Amino acid sequence: MTNSTKDEAKDVLTATLPIISVVLFMQIFILQSPLDEILLFIGTSLMVIAGFTLFLVGVQWGMLPIGEAVGAEMPQRGSLLFVVVVMFVLSFLVTIAEPDVRVLASLVDSVSEGMLDRTQLMFVIGFGVGFFMVVSALRTIMGVSIKKLLAAGYGLVLLLSFFTPEDFLAIAFDAGGVTTGPMTVPIILSLGVGISAVLSGRRDLSNTFGFIGLASIGPILGVMLMGVFLY
Amino acid sequence: MTHPDMSMLDVVLDVMQALLPVIAFFLLFQYLYIKYPWVTLKRILIGVAITGMGMVLFLGGVFLGFMPIARSMGEHLALNYDNWVIIAFGFIMGFLATYAEPAVRVLCKQVETSSGGFISAKLILWTLSFGVAALVALGMARILYDIDFRTIIIIGYSLALLMMWFSEAQYVAIAFDAGGVATGPMAVSIIMTMAVGIASGAEGGNPIVDGFGIIALIALAPILFISALGVILTRKEGEE
Repeated sequence: MTNSTKDEAKDVLTATLPIISVVLFMQIFILQSPLDEILLFIGTSLMVIAGFTLFLVGVQWGMLPIGEAVGAEMPQRGSLLFVVVVMFVLSFLVTIAEPDVRVLASLVDSVSEGMLDRTQLMFVIGFGVGFFMVVSALRTIMGVSIKKLLAAGYGLVLLLSFFTPEDFLAIAFDAGGVTTGPMTVPIILSLGVGISAVLSGRRDLSNTFGFIGLASIGPILGVMLMGVFLY
Repeated sequence: MTHPDMSMLDVVLDVMQALLPVIAFFLLFQYLYIKYPWVTLKRILIGVAITGMGMVLFLGGVFLGFMPIARSMGEHLALNYDNWVIIAFGFIMGFLATYAEPAVRVLCKQVETSSGGFISAKLILWTLSFGVAALVALGMARILYDIDFRTIIIIGYSLALLMMWFSEAQYVAIAFDAGGVATGPMAVSIIMTMAVGIASGAEGGNPIVDGFGIIALIALAPILFISALGVILTRKEGEE
């Protein structure tokens, strides 16, 4: 499972270089940007490539073992309530630490000129993921089918989208997309799989499918409700 | 500019604010329950420190370079170029973001295996890349021609929910998990910010209403595509 630094660097280069090249091409040939702007883009591209590689290596070494340790140890120690609370808190904390979530929240804050506060938005997204992680864990214990829960969750999303103010609608769905970032996905999976395996007493591979899809529902509903009730 | 007064120091503080609560939570857990030996604990803490350094560089590059550049580029495109140029450009960016993303390749392999080799990973990769490209192009067209986002997203998710009933649970779960597969950091930092810039530059555009939604559309493509594949595979299994 653990990738070497070289593999991570290769993956990062494969994922970033095509888009970086297109932007550079545009800067040079279409927009004819000033040299300092082109150099700024090249410089920050190097930062992004190096930073993203380090980040992925660090997640493998540090963040992932945290998720696995908590996911595997916790259920044997406490009551169901305790499991639910800890699961909620860790998924909340990891989600608000997710770089993709921070980038979206910054952009929303800056575009809305502070009307939609960055911290508030990150908290709503984190809360949504935490809540749906708990729902996913309970689903596994109670044996509700993943299909039914996904249908109910996305059905609710569909229903609420008729009532959500325009300002919040697109941001809500974007929030669902950024939740599945490079930090949250591995940790949510290890946390979810560990807990459901111990709680339900079976380590069924199909239990791992659907966790990410369910976790994305929370932020969409959260931001929609924020729009319905707060503004 | 996204954060005109943002400096590297702000980024460092931001990353500390992101990671310290996770570390505190883990240390509490370590102290109370896990009790890892020092060697393991040290390795984890070094890992978190590397994560933090990586985040500082990554977010620094995104906040100080990518976002302001992508945003002004979007504005410039909207002010000076025909709509079709921007839509074509969105198509190319959407295609590249998907085709180049390693997580997408992992997904394609996974679907190939689940389908028992019925559909090849390569075919899935191309279809998915074109699907995302088409939806990003649609997302750009929506900004420029003022098409209602609500209509697009309601049609999209209604289709996904409809297909769910004709598909096995396994494929439904993979489809909705796949939503996030192409919404990687490049899509978020460059394509999304550029769309916001285009919405600010476009005539009568309101960036908060029109600028967002691209990530949602990038997430919708794999959901729809794999759901459709799920319906086909479920029917095929039913015939056998």
